[in-house]
Amino acid sequence: MISAIGRSTLLATSYLGQLGILTAETVTAMFAAPIRWKLVFRQMIEIGARSQIVVAVTGAFTGAVFAAQIYFQFQRFGMASAVGSVASLALFRELGPTLTGLMVAGRVGAAIAAEIGTMKVTEQIDALRSLGVHPIDYLVVPRTIAMLVSMPLLVAEACALGIVASYIVAVPMLGVAEAPFMKKLIFYTHVSDIAIALIKGFVFAMIIVAVSCHEGLKTSNGAAGVGRAPTAAVVISSLAILGMNLILTFGLNAIFPSGQ
Amino acid sequence: MIEVQKLSKSFGSNQVLREVDLTVEEGRTLVVLGRSGCGKSVVLKHLIGLLKPDSGRVLVDGEDVTDLHERKLTAVRRKIGMLFQSAALFDSMSVEGNLAFPLREQGVRDPKEIDARIAEALDMVELAGEQAKMPADLSGGMRKRVGLARTIVGRPRCILYDEPTTGLDPITSDSINHMIRRLQRRLGVTSIVVTHDMKTAFHCADRVALLHEGRVHFDGTVDGLRASGDPIIADFIEGRSGESD
Repeated sequence: MISAIGRSTLLATSYLGQLGILTAETVTAMFAAPIRWKLVFRQMIEIGARSQIVVAVTGAFTGAVFAAQIYFQFQRFGMASAVGSVASLALFRELGPTLTGLMVAGRVGAAIAAEIGTMKVTEQIDALRSLGVHPIDYLVVPRTIAMLVSMPLLVAEACALGIVASYIVAVPMLGVAEAPFMKKLIFYTHVSDIAIALIKGFVFAMIIVAVSCHEGLKTSNGAAGVGRAPTAAVVISSLAILGMNLILTFGLNAIFPSGQ
Repeated sequence: MIEVQKLSKSFGSNQVLREVDLTVEEGRTLVVLGRSGCGKSVVLKHLIGLLKPDSGRVLVDGEDVTDLHERKLTAVRRKIGMLFQSAALFDSMSVEGNLAFPLREQGVRDPKEIDARIAEALDMVELAGEQAKMPADLSGGMRKRVGLARTIVGRPRCILYDEPTTGLDPITSDSINHMIRRLQRRLGVTSIVVTHDMKTAFHCADRVALLHEGRVHFDGTVDGLRASGDPIIADFIEGRSGESD
């Protein structure tokens, strides 16, 4: 039992170390080597533009369902007008960034790991290196920049659509008065709440791209390995996002206290 | 041009290379023979820094490349082209894209020059006019040829061939063997061919090295290999496993 815990701790530490090395190499490459902007824009389309539908649907339905649940509970105490503000705070501070992170990990993280993993087992990465091209410069840096730019925008989109959906559910459908709904929404939502959403989106982007690229780059054992890489990328990214979200919630609340 | 000194490499508990010494002279062709899994490709990958040895050195034009950082290996890698066993074509790019890639990485920007050099390289491997095809549309032999065209388009001084005829039919294999010899004559490149195909060895080699159990068991001329009475060499040439039905 104790040796199993020790082994798991060692594995986790080693994995974190490998992610740290990859991240350090990526940041160094961003400054040491020319950035391939054509590849960055291609990845922004793949990661950002093509994730919009899934992120928009997730944000909108989460906002809608959340607004309905808040209304069902709050109307018993005559606080139905607080639906907008509660939904907005929940979306910006927690649901928007976390659910967007999980959706992007599933859609984009898996694709990154599968693509790089296939290149690894078919010797295409060795071919890149043999042609004097560093795989970090060619594969990891463009995906990292594209992800870091796209994720905060996707989070903002999910939150915005969630709030719009919460308005549609609360005001026209459930009959909450529009004026107090809007007044409380604007009064209780601060710039710091939006900042928290964007910071979380940025950190989750780093987790997804680092884990997915790492899983792709360490792929071995042919087709079986290529099959495992996306699964590992999605599972590890998702768990890391949930864990990091807890840390960020406490850390960012200390920096941006709620209600200020 | 290339010198390998006391090269040793292990993967886990499996020691693949044991103090391997090899020398390849400028403009000559060395064929490295050996059974599958004996470490031939491992030797090749050390020559361009794709693998780092446990001990020993690799000298390219007198420069020790063993401990060079990945980014500093670029200059060495542009002198040496490698044809991978699977051809390793970039499957998201057309034949033209695959061949343009090394040129653009070398800083060639003029589209006319890029087109001309791609056409010239494809012509050398007898695939003129196939620029638009995707790797998925090519046969095994064609993929090898496109891989070879991508290797030579950057005009390297040395070409490494990793099992160039493996998985090909005898006719296509013969065609690849002729191509290796022809390119060596036309371009004057130094070549290192890793294979277990004796026809390739006899056709292409100026010198032959036989790897056995991680060591260089024989290093000499083709005639010397043929004339050797060594049972390990004889079994390899004749393809005898020593087993009976």
